[in-house]
Amino acid sequence: MKGLRFLRYGRLLPAMAWGLGLLILWEAASWYLLQVRQVPLAQSKLPYIHEVLSAFAEYGDTLVQEGAVTFGNAGLGFLLGAAAGALLAILMSLSKWIEHLAFPYAVASQMIPILGLAPILYGIVHDERVARVLIAGYITFFPVSINMLRGLRGVEPSALELLYSYAAKPWNIYFKLRLPASLPGLFSGLKIAAPLAVTGAILVELMGARHGIGVIMLRNLYYGPSHTYMFWSTVIVGALLGVASYALIGGLERLIAPWQPEFRDKGGDRL
Amino acid sequence: METAKRYPEIELANVGMRYSSDASEVNALQEISLDIAKGEFVSLLGPSGCGKTTLLRLMADLIQPTSGSIKVSGKSAKEARLARKYGIVFQNPVLYDWRRVEENIALPLEMMGVKKSERKRKVAELLELVRLQGFGDKYPWQLSGGMQQRVAIARALSMEPEILLMDEPFSALDEFTRERLNEELLSIWGQVNNTVVFVTHSISESIFLSDRVYVLSPHPGRLSSVVDIPLPRPRNRETRNSPEFFNLIARIRGSFEGV
Repeated sequence: MKGLRFLRYGRLLPAMAWGLGLLILWEAASWYLLQVRQVPLAQSKLPYIHEVLSAFAEYGDTLVQEGAVTFGNAGLGFLLGAAAGALLAILMSLSKWIEHLAFPYAVASQMIPILGLAPILYGIVHDERVARVLIAGYITFFPVSINMLRGLRGVEPSALELLYSYAAKPWNIYFKLRLPASLPGLFSGLKIAAPLAVTGAILVELMGARHGIGVIMLRNLYYGPSHTYMFWSTVIVGALLGVASYALIGGLERLIAPWQPEFRDKGGDRL
Repeated sequence: METAKRYPEIELANVGMRYSSDASEVNALQEISLDIAKGEFVSLLGPSGCGKTTLLRLMADLIQPTSGSIKVSGKSAKEARLARKYGIVFQNPVLYDWRRVEENIALPLEMMGVKKSERKRKVAELLELVRLQGFGDKYPWQLSGGMQQRVAIARALSMEPEILLMDEPFSALDEFTRERLNEELLSIWGQVNNTVVFVTHSISESIFLSDRVYVLSPHPGRLSSVVDIPLPRPRNRETRNSPEFFNLIARIRGSFEGV
């Protein structure tokens, strides 16, 4: 009960007040630019939020449809990238040799700008869908791998000695200790990667695709001032997709690894 | 206690431990010889740096001596470890955060391939033994330090080890909790009756618990004296207030003065 009240008054209310305040400020600033300062193209710079919202409502179907395409591709790439990242982390934790072999390339891969890689990849695979999935996966794999490896390696020595004293088999050490201990790292990697995967998918869409939120984003940008509100709507959808992906992973983390310090009830019943 | 015919369960002969690096050589332990009989409760007592924890870790086969031999029931320490003769309790409880109390206690049983129903029965028994009934479904962080250490003891006892090795298990606790847990440990030991090797830097704790106290001194770590503790069992609060208890404290403290 105490926890719920904490949530209601301690977090939700300020968050809502913040949100509302921001919207009012936005609307006021927009009005100021348009009416008082009379800035050219004022609505493109900061549109009325209510106009954006009405465009959002009017074209809701399209936005949801295209957003779902983007989210689906980003999600698929994310899953593949996460699986590859986790697998690589496990392999590197098992063998120093594999780590020495793979790690420099993993790091180097992150030095290539996505903006440059995306068209190259698209040129090779010539399939907008595959290209999006690949880029999303490519972005995901590194943070997942690095963070999970740290978890796998960072096991307390005495926790290992304990298993050693039980004459535990190697796979037991892995499944009973290293893998559970790596979950916090795995999830922090996933949480970093999830919104990036969405951004990556949108980026590929900007380079030429038939569906996806990035496509209508670009189209409305080209159409100019008359489509400002729609353009802003697509930007908001993109942001919401990122937030949703983060929240999804966060929820999953609470489900799978609820024992972590940050989820503990502060007033807990310490006896 | 004296009725059973005793044979040495743990025998150390001239055990030495040196750590050497390029720059220096540290003589952590030198010429340690001792016999511990089956069912005995002995303490390794000494100040920091005397090598008492090293000695325990040697017995546990967590590290190997650079000289001398360690025999457990006539076999090597490694064989004893592989035969799961050891239950170890560390200074920290070392409970796995992602496991509930009952799952932590069952961990060694899982390693041994004990069936789930059997594990459940065993864990319930152990929870009762360490007086933590009703806490089985809690997570470790929901318990106090003393309770966590009791979980660690239950976990160590779950595979019915012949030898319980305890490395300053109560040193992080306040004195009141420690004294209470000392009494509880003795009552647990009275029920399971295995051999216990207990490392501590507290003179009174070692006397209260043990049949015999091995006093170690540092630089290099060596056995400086062996003190038999003839205090009657069961021991309780009165034991701590008895003149014999104080005499033993004085005697052991005196043995440090020559160091």
